[in-house]
Parts: sequence; structure tokens; C-alpha cells
Amino acid sequence: MTSSNDAGMDALTEPYRDALRRGEFVVQHCKACDRQIMYPRHLCPFCYADDLDFVAAPTSGILHSFAVHRVGSPTGFEDQLPYAVGIVKLPGDVQFLARLHPDAEGDWGQYTLDGEVVFRGADADEMTARPVPWFGLPA
Amino acid sequence: MSDTEPVFIGIGEQPSGRYPNRPFMGDLVRVGVAAVKDAGLTMTDIDTILLIPCLHSPADQADLVFSRIVEELGLNKKVKCQYMVHSGGSTSDNTIRTAAGLIDSGHAKNVLVLQAEKWGSAPVTEMIDMLTANGIPREWEKQSGVSFNAVGALIQQRYMFESGSTPADMASVCVALRDWANLNPNAMYKDKKLTVEQVLGSKMITDPIRAFECPMLADGACALVLTSRGNARKLGKDRVVRLAGEGGCVSHYSIGQEREVGKLGWEIAAPAAYEAAGWGPEDVDIAEIYDSYAAVLTSGLEGLGLAPKGEAARMFARGEFSPGGRLPVNTNGGLLSAGHTGVGGGTALLTEGVRQLLGRAGPERQVEGATRAALGGSGGTYMDSQVLLLEGVSA
Repeated sequence: MTSSNDAGMDALTEPYRDALRRGEFVVQHCKACDRQIMYPRHLCPFCYADDLDFVAAPTSGILHSFAVHRVGSPTGFEDQLPYAVGIVKLPGDVQFLARLHPDAEGDWGQYTLDGEVVFRGADADEMTARPVPWFGLPA
Repeated sequence: MSDTEPVFIGIGEQPSGRYPNRPFMGDLVRVGVAAVKDAGLTMTDIDTILLIPCLHSPADQADLVFSRIVEELGLNKKVKCQYMVHSGGSTSDNTIRTAAGLIDSGHAKNVLVLQAEKWGSAPVTEMIDMLTANGIPREWEKQSGVSFNAVGALIQQRYMFESGSTPADMASVCVALRDWANLNPNAMYKDKKLTVEQVLGSKMITDPIRAFECPMLADGACALVLTSRGNARKLGKDRVVRLAGEGGCVSHYSIGQEREVGKLGWEIAAPAAYEAAGWGPEDVDIAEIYDSYAAVLTSGLEGLGLAPKGEAARMFARGEFSPGGRLPVNTNGGLLSAGHTGVGGGTALLTEGVRQLLGRAGPERQVEGATRAALGGSGGTYMDSQVLLLEGVSA
């Protein structure tokens, strides 16, 4: 379902998604108060300035929680099962929902809460089709 | 207490479950008539109708907004206003705030609150896809494939990590609620027993949540009547239920932005409510707290001070919140066992709380001497934590 909010949203969504499509991860940044912002906003939610850009994000974060879809998914994700999503916190007090790569065993049993996770994009086709941050366990 | 103080004087409810032959508008009319009768009023005494939305159909939602219920109840040119309050699962809490303000200010005399939902009879895939659009930002999170069960699972995973609760502890929450539902003739699972072994043996849906830990979508309907305490006295009411205190916290929109998914906003919401009431968690006789997933309820009990931090699930495992336990919790069976009636799940808990405090829960389920109830509600992706403290008093 679309909404009137979708029109003109490219200025917010495209720099973020373009970076993901290139295998990079950026977060929004307020030049006025020098804080990082997630998710990207129309005005800075801290100082309400509109002088916003995108900056490279730290590539290492902490896993706050995660969930593994095994049965049932939103329409369009049936072929992805099983798959996991997690809340990742980065230095700079930003956090977001990410996809999680399977661990070395091909499942998600090696992930621990408050453990380290690192940004690692999925393959180019997936990042183009569904540009979201992907995180995995450190090598 | 002042004469203008708002009080509950009547309730109505239709059984929850799958009732495809029970029309939406028919359910609304039936619970409305039942609640007004229960209140000892006649329908034309109602001057304000507050509507709790339905999620199953935009067409039925439009009927609500455009006052079809006024016509169905024969109240054309009798009612001053009718409108909808909406904040998802916490709508009942916000509706009661609204009703209380209207009565206390003199803007309303007798308020009828109405809710009906047909989730149990609607196409499941359509309803699940709709839920995926509720509180999940289409620009930033939809592309991750996060489902509504996963939102509950994110909360439960973190709660279990912080509290050290085991899968069996979490399963026991569902079992306690089932034991309550077995005492409630209006519950979807009034006839079906449930054991911890059955829960743990059910299919893993979204780690760490198993099939029997997911709420079942249900049809259901509730209504409540509020008036002023002075009017209740004139009506010769013996016992009424007052709103002793309330507090709230809107903690996030998207689950990805909740800083503490194992806690949510309960600890911020509760203190103001207790302060207004002049009593504390130790004085609570029953609790009715939103429970679409077990950890939503355990975090609520802890945030409301009704269980020590991290202990709520283990207390469920020891039967402390079950029938006959130390503190009766979700005495109608909750969303998990009475049925998830969409926005109505919280309304059913509210209705049950008022019913208990009016002493009308029947011989099997009535909590003896129940005077003070703590209610907790939450909407969307558990975007808010709403607390209402109710007290049964003589008019």
C-alpha cells in the first residue's frame, strides 16, 4: 500500500538505498547539531534544522535482539524462509532493524544478545531488490 | 469525591472466537443494548457515543465513522456526538481518558463506548499483511520482511535474555491464561486445555515464539457505559467503578527504534498513575494487561511493579498469577486465550476489569473482594504503554 507520504520521499530514501545498493551503509547526519539520525527524517528530530546529509556509518555494532522467521512471512518473503531480523545499535546512538546473515552452521544459534555484529551487504541482486542493512557475526 | 467524577456503570460483551454468521453491526447493536441495560439506563439517556475502530474492513470502519450505529440504535437527533478514538491496541485506554474528560467537564452526561471486530472470520493472509503495514515503516523496515510475530519475538528474545527466563517459563504464561479462559464462557478457548508440554511441542514459528504462543485472531465485541458519580447516585447505583489514576508513555513508532525492547515504556507510564490513585502496586487485587505475546505481559507486570524485575515469567511458572494464585492476571484469558480481537483485545481486558470490580464475573471466575485493578494497554508495535488504575466504590 502506498501513501501520499511516498511522493517526494526520494530525497530521504534514495541516498540511503543507493549506498546500500553499492554495498555501503550510511546514516543521516545533522550538520547543525552534528548528531546522527536513524531512521532518516525530514527535519533533525533533535534541533529541527533542515541541514541534513548522509555520512558513512560505523560498520560494527551491538545486537539488541533478533527473531528468526521459520513459518509464515509477509507476502513476498516466502522464498526467503528461514530468515532473521535483528535490532542493531551503533556507536553514535543510532539503531535500526537489519537482516542477519546465517552463522557458520547455516542457522542463527551463534548470535548472542549484546554481542558484536558487523555490516556485510548481501549479494548485489538482493541489495538492489530490497535495500536494507545486512549484518553478520565478525569474521 | 465530586459529583462530576466519571464512573463505569455498565458493560456488555459478545463471545470471542470464530462467528462468521454474526454480522459486525449486529454485534455492535447487541453489546450496546446489553451495556445500556446493564447500566440501568434507557438508550435515549446516551448523549455521546465513543467508537473503538475495527481493523477487518475499511467499509465497516467507514460505517462507524459516519454514524451508522446512531441510526441502528434509533438515536437519530437524540445523540449529541459520536466519534472514533484510535491508537490501535491501546485505544480502550485512550477512549476511557476521553470519556472521563467529557463527563468531568460536563460535555457529556452518559457515554456509550462501543467496539466490535471480525478478525476471526476475515481472510487470515489479508489480515496478516495488513498487520505488517501497521507500525512497520514502509521506507525503512518493510524490506527486511519483519512480520508481526517477529515484533513480538524481538521483545520476547530480549526479555528472556535479560531475565534468564526459560522457554518453559514463557510457555507457562500461555498456560495460566488458558486456565483463566477455561473459566470464561466468552473466551475463544473456553473448552480447550493447554499444558506447558503442548506449548513447547508446538511448531517454532518465529524464534523464540512457538505456534501456541501466538494469539489467535478472533471476532468479538464489547461495550461500556460511563456516567458521572452524581448521576450514578441518582440512579440508585450501589457499586460503581472509578478511574483512580492513569499514566502513559509513547515510546516509539517502529520496533527498530525502541531502545529497550525487553522493557518498553511501562516504567515511565506507571508512577503517575499510582501517584494519582494514592495507592501502589501492593494494593492491586487484579491485573488486566495487554498480552498479545507473553513477554508483552511479563514486561508490563514488572513495569507496573506487580512483579520484581525479571521475575514475572517465573512467577507464572509457579502459578502465582493463575486462578487461585496470589494475584489474578488477565482473568478473561487475555488476548492469548480469550482471542485477539484486534483493537478489541484491550477493550475485552478493560471490560473484564470493570466486570470484576462490579462483582459480576460469575461464581467460577469472580475474584473475591476485588476492589483495585491495574490495567495496561499497548498499540501498534508496542508503541505505547498505557496504565489505568480502576477502583470499585459505592456510588
